[in-house]
Amino acid sequence: MASAHAQGHSHDHAHGSYLTPKGGFWTTVLDWATTVDHKKIGMMYLVAILFMFFLGGLAALAVRTELFQPVRVDAQTGAITGQLLANWFYAEPTMAQGNDVYNIAFTLHGAIMVFMVIVPSIPASLGNFLLPIMLGTKDVAFPRLNLLSWYIYVIGSMFAVGAILLGGVDTGWTFYTPYSTSTGNEFGKLTLMVMAAFILGFSSILTGLNFIVTVHKLRAPGMGWFDMPLFVWAVYSSAIIQVLATPVIGITLLLLVFERTFNVGIFDPSLGGDPVLYQHFFWFYSHPVVYVMILPGMGIISDVLAVHSHKKIFGYRAIAYSSLGIAAVSFIVWGHHMFTSMSELASAVFSGLTFLVAIPTAVKVFNWISTLYKGSIAFTTPMVYALIFLFLFSIGGLTGLPLGTLSTDLHLHDSYFVVAHFHYVMMGGTIMALMAGLHHWWPKFFGRMYNENAALFCALIVFVGFNLTFFTQFYLGSQGMPRRYASYIDEFTSLHQISTYGSYLLGLGFLGHLFVFLHSLAAGRVAPQNPWGGLTLEWVAASPPVEHNFDHDPVVKHGPYDFETTVPPGWTPDEYPIPAENLRTAGSH
Amino acid sequence: MLTSFLAQAMVTTHATLATASASTSGSGFFQFWDRLWLREPAMTEAAKDTDYMFMWLWWFCVIWFVGLMGIMAYFCIKYRRKPGKIAERSPSHHLGIELAWTIIPTLFLVWIFFKGFWGYMEKMVPTGTAMELKLTGYKWSWNMEYPNGLVVDRGFMNTSFGAELVPVFYVPADMPITLRMNSNDVMHSFWVPDFRIKQDLMPNRYTGMTFTAIGPKDGEPGIHTHPMNEEEAKRNRSPGATPGAPSASRIAPEFIPELAGVKYTDHWVFCAEYCGTYHSEMAAVIRVVSKEDFNKWLVWAAKKSTPTDPVEWGKLLYKGKCASCHTVDGGKNTGPTWQNLYGYEHDYTDGSKIVADDNHIVESIRNPGKRVRVGYANNMNAFSEAQLNPKQTEAIISYMKSLSDKAPKVTPSEGDKPAEKSKEQASAK
Repeated sequence: MASAHAQGHSHDHAHGSYLTPKGGFWTTVLDWATTVDHKKIGMMYLVAILFMFFLGGLAALAVRTELFQPVRVDAQTGAITGQLLANWFYAEPTMAQGNDVYNIAFTLHGAIMVFMVIVPSIPASLGNFLLPIMLGTKDVAFPRLNLLSWYIYVIGSMFAVGAILLGGVDTGWTFYTPYSTSTGNEFGKLTLMVMAAFILGFSSILTGLNFIVTVHKLRAPGMGWFDMPLFVWAVYSSAIIQVLATPVIGITLLLLVFERTFNVGIFDPSLGGDPVLYQHFFWFYSHPVVYVMILPGMGIISDVLAVHSHKKIFGYRAIAYSSLGIAAVSFIVWGHHMFTSMSELASAVFSGLTFLVAIPTAVKVFNWISTLYKGSIAFTTPMVYALIFLFLFSIGGLTGLPLGTLSTDLHLHDSYFVVAHFHYVMMGGTIMALMAGLHHWWPKFFGRMYNENAALFCALIVFVGFNLTFFTQFYLGSQGMPRRYASYIDEFTSLHQISTYGSYLLGLGFLGHLFVFLHSLAAGRVAPQNPWGGLTLEWVAASPPVEHNFDHDPVVKHGPYDFETTVPPGWTPDEYPIPAENLRTAGSH
Repeated sequence: MLTSFLAQAMVTTHATLATASASTSGSGFFQFWDRLWLREPAMTEAAKDTDYMFMWLWWFCVIWFVGLMGIMAYFCIKYRRKPGKIAERSPSHHLGIELAWTIIPTLFLVWIFFKGFWGYMEKMVPTGTAMELKLTGYKWSWNMEYPNGLVVDRGFMNTSFGAELVPVFYVPADMPITLRMNSNDVMHSFWVPDFRIKQDLMPNRYTGMTFTAIGPKDGEPGIHTHPMNEEEAKRNRSPGATPGAPSASRIAPEFIPELAGVKYTDHWVFCAEYCGTYHSEMAAVIRVVSKEDFNKWLVWAAKKSTPTDPVEWGKLLYKGKCASCHTVDGGKNTGPTWQNLYGYEHDYTDGSKIVADDNHIVESIRNPGKRVRVGYANNMNAFSEAQLNPKQTEAIISYMKSLSDKAPKVTPSEGDKPAEKSKEQASAK
């Protein structure tokens, strides 16, 4: 990838961009492998995460393929039909083989997407690249820890891939006991998979710790807490959760490994343990981590909406505080994953607390929509993805209501309604925000523009495909389709088929995006310093930034979204005619 | 204006739900959405409340969503970027608006929470004296124990969905029933979509839930009748031919003279907590009959549950407990086939080579890991005496003998004798 930028865009800068190779091929490889530059580490994360996203996506398409038809056994002949997935692996699969292949596929999809894609996606790739630049500093506080976290991520992912190559595991990404202590004994592959998640946790903690210290200590002169871009606020909030919650999952998974290896009897009832204890431990991490996944996405949306409508964000402080509010409340709502396995009193308490988290989330949506008022809205790909985010995330948020409500949750729990809900939040939220962010900062990352019309077309395909895939699943769930089923009753066939066609369309859309990106790297137009007219510090830096980000340390003289009074750096005033009476400062340098 | 519109939507939805179960014709628009979301009408009183809550929430969400997206779309069109024109100045903060859009949703959420909590308690706490049924989940089916000690497993009603046997649990209508639930192995979850209820089954403690099923009333859709004779049963059980059945999902009973003409409604049960290979085949049917018909069924079932012929009994037990892993026709499965198993010499993974006799079979049931056949993994669960008592293991041995050509022939007419003899031998020792 680096060689595509050999020509570099170092124009008027003394040192070359961070992408300029340091010498021959092996020198460059060694340089990247030992780099402590947050930009290179961010890009290495991006490549690793997108690769895992591709693997997880393949598993998702495998799951949808199996569900295209229900599995049926002919009562007379014993012939099995509808095992569309197992047919790829066996000549004549038995019922058990067919089901196991499906169970492994959905476990892979879940485990990869949660632990290796969505949790690290935005903070580790975009966050790593942008957070120091947005704060106007040279690097994160602990650059070597940053590199270590990438290696830990790669090692963790290799453990997971190893478990897959040994035949895969079939527990679901939640590893619920006692099922997970009684399966997957061959080659210790389940232990491998659990260790993968354990190791990935360290990568998460190191990144979080790094970001917290960087935000506290390395802000540019003149940048107070409320002059930080909202993306930084969001990454900061999620870093706090990562540091506080990840150790809990680390301990839990380690206990699970002990349980399997030494039969210590913490979770396994046949040894005197309690499986519900595992659920409490597991969700005490895994619920807060839902907000690790979505908060950075919310940060991207705040930035993208403001920049592409050239409008000061509405209720800056409300958005910043609601990020912290969500982070705090996220620690006390884990019980809503367990309404069918807890006492009535505990369920009632957790139901009530769960509704609390709806309020700051709703406030954010209202603020974002209000930001558009009287703006100058450009329908660029990042902006369109931000609008798609608002559309899908609103559906995801609202469908959380019947799940938080006890009486309706007793029906919807562990059904496809839940599957649809968390895909609207996680994929419609985090992944759509990642797409918005990728397009928004792509010119900054690589110094190249992408083809706007092609990207917009792919975004449209993704939007249509997504809704076909997942909206049908709301109906399936409330009609009675349980999660993690390889087969189903005849009534569900047509909805499942629409969903499968939708998922293929969704896959095509992402494939299209891949080509748009590759085309941009190979032959894209050279990007200007500030293609969208943003006011935050990354638009002061060159595209792509020089090795130490800035030629001289930037001084912050205006807020991140003061579009009414500031001409964006790198823009000529006639492109951006601010009335003289409004004008306060003309750019920061 | 918003609240009055909501109230109107609420009243209309509620009225629709009330009439939905009484007749198929109703106000078309809301009927359409109710059925799209919930397919089958609610079949308990508590479930009707859940449906009301669910549809209320649906219209609540639709109003908020359409409102928000409408405003967004309007802004996007009105304030789209025009050359040479920059964004107008407007306040970027307004305390009044921000307080309003924090407090108003909070008030709605408080109401939603309480409404949901009350509906939940209705499904968890029984009203009046309830009949307690003991439900056991295991990989991968369900057993139900009735108050008279009768245990119904998946072989009992000889009813299958596709090629899989599913247990059919008869329950009386219009009478509160509580389930006391427990799992034999991993976690399972008992979900009855038509009752809008589910609860997890745990290996280390009892959980429970309660329901009062609405009875099968004449003229309603979804009512079926036990067949009056063999021909009708055969016709009903041929694929897609059940009268009034939308598809193969309605499982027709065989001809039972004592139950001919009994009206019933069927309700799917699914396992909703992932439990391994056959998780998606772990279904059951709850069959709701009137109280009088339930008593008829109890009498018939009590007689059936202890057959006098041990081979038949063994076959019944086989279908309920063994058929998921063992075949009887020589076919391959997780465990060895029972065809020509008894009386033959087999190789075992510990290097031993013994003839499968009565003692070996009992050992394999109680302690399957002790000797594992070459070519098979050690993955059978042990059956304790509580799960298969000595009389039942005797019956299984008799059935295995009937499948082997090296065993003393056990014909149905003289079936009692060998079993009696072996019992005498056992007691003599």
